[in-house]
Amino acid sequence: MLLYIFTTERNMLVLTRKPGEGIIIGDDVTIKVIEMKGGGVRIGIDAPKNKKIYRQEIYDRITEENKMASQWDMDALDSLSTNLSTEKKDK
Amino acid sequence: MKTIQTRFGDVEYDPANLLHFPAGMIGFPTLHKFIVMPNKKEGPLFWIQSIDDAEVAFVLTDPSNFFPNYQIIADESEKNSLKISSEDDYFILSVVTVPPSQEITLNLAAPILFSPKTNRAIQVILENTEYQSKTPLPVSE
Repeated sequence: MLLYIFTTERNMLVLTRKPGEGIIIGDDVTIKVIEMKGGGVRIGIDAPKNKKIYRQEIYDRITEENKMASQWDMDALDSLSTNLSTEKKDK
Repeated sequence: MKTIQTRFGDVEYDPANLLHFPAGMIGFPTLHKFIVMPNKKEGPLFWIQSIDDAEVAFVLTDPSNFFPNYQIIADESEKNSLKISSEDDYFILSVVTVPPSQEITLNLAAPILFSPKTNRAIQVILENTEYQSKTPLPVSE
């Protein structure tokens, strides 16, 4: 059974799996449903070491932080640097 | 030398001397090349300017300036991304968030690993860590 959920970027493939069943993505990634327990699903992922795997909420938090960090102004940096170097000299 | 128009004005750079992020920064996967800019003022902060997107620049610092015990060990695949062997040195950098309020924070949860030998850098996400993505500077005594 297949159905598609529409997201802003592309269609998300949604399919039903039972514990012990898996999904293969490309040539080198296998995802297996290990068990369902207490409202959560334990998932096993077999992928090459160089494929980075992140929990989405953590990845999203870092993305958000990077976006904030990419916006700053030079005056703030200048006065900050002045403060930091005087603090060092005071020590 | 080449010149790029940034939101801080024109910046001259040598295309042969750029910092290369093969995977981009987290959330900025298409920005691979950055100019390393020394800060005009002295102090531990410097910044990098993307040449792929003139709007994007990050303030960085060596976190050991503020957190002497902060240590990150690169694993094999991270060393491969930096194109260095196990004997080669690499450095740890932190992204600094500079809000207008001046209460700056360091992102200790997603450090940048940098190889001076290959000029390559990757940002990694630490999982199962106590380190926070918004770590305030330690209060000096």
